[in-house]
Amino acid sequence: MTILTVALKYLQGRLVASTLTAVSIALGVSLVVASVLLAGGIKAGFIAGATDYNLVVGAKGSPTQLVLSVVFRMDLATPNIEYTAYRDLQQDPRVETAVPIAVGDAYRGFRYVATNNAYFAAFPWRRKTFALAAGKFFADDPPSDPTYEALLGAEAARSTGLQIGDRFYEGEEMAEYPLTVVGILRPTHSADDRAIFFSLPSYWGMNEVARGMAVKPITAVLIRPKRMSDLPSLHRALNVAPETQAVLPSGVLLTIFNMMAVAEDVLKMILATVGAIVLLYVFVSMYSATMERRREIATMRALGARRATVLGIVLAESAALATVGGLGGMVGGHAVAYLAGSLLGPSGLVTNPFLFDVFEPAVLASVIFLGTLAGLLPAVLAYRTEVAENLAPLS
Amino acid sequence: MGAQSAVVLRDVKKAFPLRGGLGLEVLDLEHLALPAGSCTVLRGRSGSGKTTLLNLVAGITAPTAGTVHVADTDVFALSEARRDRFRAENIGYVFQTFNLLSALSALENVMLAMMFADAVPQHLQRRRSTDLLARLGLAERLAHKPAQLSRGEQQRVAIARALANSPPLVLADEPCASLDARTASEVLAIFLAVCREDEKTLLLVSHDEAALGGADRVIDMSELNRTEARKGST
Repeated sequence: MTILTVALKYLQGRLVASTLTAVSIALGVSLVVASVLLAGGIKAGFIAGATDYNLVVGAKGSPTQLVLSVVFRMDLATPNIEYTAYRDLQQDPRVETAVPIAVGDAYRGFRYVATNNAYFAAFPWRRKTFALAAGKFFADDPPSDPTYEALLGAEAARSTGLQIGDRFYEGEEMAEYPLTVVGILRPTHSADDRAIFFSLPSYWGMNEVARGMAVKPITAVLIRPKRMSDLPSLHRALNVAPETQAVLPSGVLLTIFNMMAVAEDVLKMILATVGAIVLLYVFVSMYSATMERRREIATMRALGARRATVLGIVLAESAALATVGGLGGMVGGHAVAYLAGSLLGPSGLVTNPFLFDVFEPAVLASVIFLGTLAGLLPAVLAYRTEVAENLAPLS
Repeated sequence: MGAQSAVVLRDVKKAFPLRGGLGLEVLDLEHLALPAGSCTVLRGRSGSGKTTLLNLVAGITAPTAGTVHVADTDVFALSEARRDRFRAENIGYVFQTFNLLSALSALENVMLAMMFADAVPQHLQRRRSTDLLARLGLAERLAHKPAQLSRGEQQRVAIARALANSPPLVLADEPCASLDARTASEVLAIFLAVCREDEKTLLLVSHDEAALGGADRVIDMSELNRTEARKGST
């Protein structure tokens, strides 16, 4: 028998109360873990999605709307710009890479994104990499001969159940222009997982208005300059043009993060309150348990247990409860983050709930420390238990 | 102090503090010596200081004056931590209400006592506890929790626990008062037999005729405790 054995036996002896206490700790911890994972995941998603390109060029309007719609597919698409804007940028000596994007309708909630194969190219400066889970990338077809080949993001493929070779369209009016699945991407943990990609000629072919236009429309152009020193002049020139605006995604991110910071502060206060309530619950649970068994503590003392031993038993109990609750909370937090990530999916943000964050060992250590601390006063009560007084025969 | 005396109390007084700085004296004895291996029974009316005397010998309650020697050790000259360890290794205590730990099985209750002393090596503790319980007729009850045991069985577990560390001295405070007459005589018989076999010094508070009959010495608290004697004379 050891102090820990006796502590665990005591916890086992009041299984319902112990379980409820551990569950309350687990709920509190899972709330903290899930919140931090989701907040971190959302930020990481924003950063990963927005930082490969230094400029997003689109129609004049809200810079935030442009970035949210083009990069994260979270907002309504901005008005179109002409395809020639892309051609001009492609020819610009300051531009290393220009990628045209046209954001269209959706198939069963999964956004159509028309682009070219440069969007998936593995440039050395790219954070995000695209790999095929099956099939091939769609062909960069000429405007006169669209292939209507579609490449599905991982989540789009999983949810729709579409396989390589399947043909599909949204709405009867599009039955003449069915898309054919030629490839499926591996998960990228970004908004691209929920997209259906195809070529710009296919997009123009499917769009009745675009079919009749001499100069074809696109939504935006993603730009990577050759040198960072070229960025300000590019930014300025494109904003001076009457039809286009150029947006720095990092600037938009800053705006979004500033908006999130207010919510994060409120969340922190809520989490701190939850933590305090959980600690109070542990304290009350350990206090009542200690008060109930003062006679047993006195018995142990009469058998020769030192004060430090009974103190250790009560502290070991609260530490064990905190450990079990803390570990349960970690698992629960990841589960909640996974579920919440699934719910956030349609908004274009994808988090990775299986990612183990470096803050988690610190959270677990804090939970064990504070949980043990909550048992300190009850433990001191046990320590100070008057033996003879509590061993008096029961009347 | 005689070499063969397991317990010696000299000029021991015990008073409990009352409000207003007054004290309630419950015990005043000049001298008490228990020969090693003897069985002594204390008897007396309620409030005559029997339990207080046992607690003094166990080192649980400190005397207001006087000395308590157990196995040639001045119990209250030891620090509290060392006194706890001394008690764990040298004194077994059987309570009137058994005081088993409800969360532990019979076997674990016995092993618990070994946790507080170094008397039995850890790898032998389970074996020794099992043997003790078997000796007290509880071989089939090892895994039972106190709530699953009869009162007689609970008291036998408490006796096994008191003997767990092979203490030379065993104290018992009315060990059969909570039992019916038949169970009480069975438990008492086995308790006395085990203590005799193992040559324990036994100090027992009891009014049970069987205990009184099996004792080497019966002490009436009204004769031993001068406070009690004074009360009787007023």
